[in-house]
Amino acid sequence: MSDPGVKTRSEIEAHEVEKIYDDGMIRALAGVDLTVAKGEFVAITGPSGCGKSTLLHLFAALDRPTSGTIRVDGYDMNHLRHSNRFRRQEIGLVFQLHNLLPRLSVLGNVEIAMAGSHRPYAERSVYAQKLLGDVDIAHLADRRPTQLSGGERQRVAIARALANDPPILLADEPTGSLDSASVEAVLGLFQRLRQERRVTIVLVTHDNVVAGVADRIVQMLDGKVVSEQATRSL
Amino acid sequence: MSLVRLVLANLWAKKSRSIGIAFAIGIAVMTVVTLTVVSSGLENAAAAVLTIGKSDFTVAQNGVSDILFSSIDDGQLHNVGSTKGVANAVGVLLETEKINAANPLFLEIGIDPGDLSHFGVTVVAGKPYGATANHQVMLGWRAAQNLGLHVGARFEGNGTWNTVTGIFSTGIAYGDLGAMFPLPALQARNRVAGSVTLIFVKVVPGFSIPKVEKSLTSSHPELTTIRTASEFGRADRNLVFLQAAATGSTVLAILIGAVIVGNTMLLSLFERTREFGLLRAIGWTRTRVVFLVVGEGIVLAVAGSATGVGLSFAATSVLEHLPQLTGVLHANYTQGAFWRGLYTGLGMAVIGALYPALRAANLTPLKALSHE
Repeated sequence: MSDPGVKTRSEIEAHEVEKIYDDGMIRALAGVDLTVAKGEFVAITGPSGCGKSTLLHLFAALDRPTSGTIRVDGYDMNHLRHSNRFRRQEIGLVFQLHNLLPRLSVLGNVEIAMAGSHRPYAERSVYAQKLLGDVDIAHLADRRPTQLSGGERQRVAIARALANDPPILLADEPTGSLDSASVEAVLGLFQRLRQERRVTIVLVTHDNVVAGVADRIVQMLDGKVVSEQATRSL
Repeated sequence: MSLVRLVLANLWAKKSRSIGIAFAIGIAVMTVVTLTVVSSGLENAAAAVLTIGKSDFTVAQNGVSDILFSSIDDGQLHNVGSTKGVANAVGVLLETEKINAANPLFLEIGIDPGDLSHFGVTVVAGKPYGATANHQVMLGWRAAQNLGLHVGARFEGNGTWNTVTGIFSTGIAYGDLGAMFPLPALQARNRVAGSVTLIFVKVVPGFSIPKVEKSLTSSHPELTTIRTASEFGRADRNLVFLQAAATGSTVLAILIGAVIVGNTMLLSLFERTREFGLLRAIGWTRTRVVFLVVGEGIVLAVAGSATGVGLSFAATSVLEHLPQLTGVLHANYTQGAFWRGLYTGLGMAVIGALYPALRAANLTPLKALSHE
C-alpha cells in the first residue's frame, strides 16, 4: 500500500465525498463522485448552496471531507501531512473577492505567494514581473490594488495563483464581481493559460455563460453531481 | 518580497498606530534606562567615598541602611588596627552638610592630621590643621576652586566659621570636592564622640587581602568589609533597594508594556483576519505567520528602545538639575543600562506579540477568509 501523503497520480478524483457541518444539521456534499483529467478545464455550476464551493475547498485542502476520498494531483486529501506545502506547490487559488493586500504593490502581491518556495530570492521579482506580463498587466506592477479596476485586480490574483507554477488552478467564482468586459477578458485569460501552461483548471461558477468556456460542465444540486456534459454537446 | 520588507510595509501602512506603540515602548524603556543610569550614578557617587582613602579595603558597620549611618567606636578601631596583617587602619568620620544651593551634600571628613599620609592626602597649599583645633579646616582643591576660597580665608562649615589652613588633594574628584576637619571637632559638633564612620585599612605587603578581610569579619561579625563598588551593598542597604527597584521596574515595564503591545496587536489581528487567512490559503506556514507578527513586534521594539534611550538622556538631565540632586547625581551611562533598555523593549514586544501571532497562525483559512 502506498504512503497516503505521497504523490501518485496527476488528476483530481473525488469518490463518495460527503461534507457535513454543524453536527449533521447541514449536509453540504452528499456523495460526490468526480474525476478531472490532467490538463482539463472543468466548470462546476449550480445554484447557491449546492456545494460547489465546498467541493473546491476540499480540492484546495482548505477543509477535509467528512467521508469519502479525494485525490488531487495524486495526494490523498484525507491524509495530507503538509497542507501548506500542498497549497503552495500543487494548486493555485483564485477567489471571487481577489483578496489582494492593499498595502503591497501589484508586484508585491504576486511575490508574496513565493514565500517559502524553492525559487531563489533574486529571481522572485523577475518571475513575478513575467507573470504579470503573462496576464497583460506588467505595466501596472508598481500600482496599488486600490488603483486597479476589478478585472485588473482579478488578473493580479491569477498571476499570484500561478506564482509557484502549480499544475492545478482552482477558481471560486472568479468572475462573480466583474463587469461583462472584464468577465470576457478573465475567461480568455484562463483559456490562454490552460493552453500555454497546460494547467488543469477547475472553475466554480453559477453563471452558465462563464461555464461555457470550459471543456466540461459539472452540474451540482443539493450536494450531488446531477449531470456532466462536454461543452461541445451543449 | 522578503519577510522583512513585508513587516516594514505592514507597519508603514498603519503609521499612527506603529508610532503609538513604539512611543509606549519608548516611555517604558526610558523609565528603565533612567532608573538604571541613576542608580548606577548614585552607586558610583556613594562608592566614591571608599576610593578616597586609597586603602586595600574599607570597614563599615554591617547592615546599615546608608553607609553614612555606619558607626564604629574607638575599641573596634583599635581591634581592627591590631589585627594580624593590617599595616594601618585610619578611622574617619564622614558627614554631609548643605553649604549652599550648589552644594546640597557637601562632604565633610573628620580625620586625625597624623593619618593624612596613610589616607593618601597631599597638602598642596598651606598646612594641615591642628589635631585638636576647633575652628580649622582644610579644603579639597576642587572645593576651594568652586567656593573661591584660599589659605587663610574663612569657611562656614560644621556649623561654625573656620579658618582654611590648607588645600589638599586626594587624587579622587569626590574627595577633592569636600573639606577635612580635625576628628574630635567634627565628632563633637555631630555628637558622636569616640565614633568614626569608616575604617580605611592598608594590608602589610605580602599578606592576602581576602584572608585579612575574612579574619576581621569572622572575629567582628558586626563589621563588614568592602573592597569594590559591587560589594557596596553589604554596607549600604539603600543602594540595594535602589538596584532592586530598577530591576523591579524592568519586570513591571515588560509586563505592562506586553499587555499594551498585545492589546494593540490583537486589535490589528482582528482587522487583518482576512489577510492572515489569505496567507495561509496560498501556502504560508504557521511558523511564517508567527514570524511576520512577531517580526512587526521586534521592529517596534527596536524603534521604541531607541526612542526610550533618547528620552532617558533628557530625563536624566532633568533629574541631574533638580535642586535636591545637584552635585549628587552624576548619570552613569553604562553598557548594561542600554542592554537593559533593549531587552525591556524586546521583552515587551515579543511577549506582547506572541499571543496575537499564535492566534493569527492558528486561524482556519476558510473562516478567516470569510471574516467581515
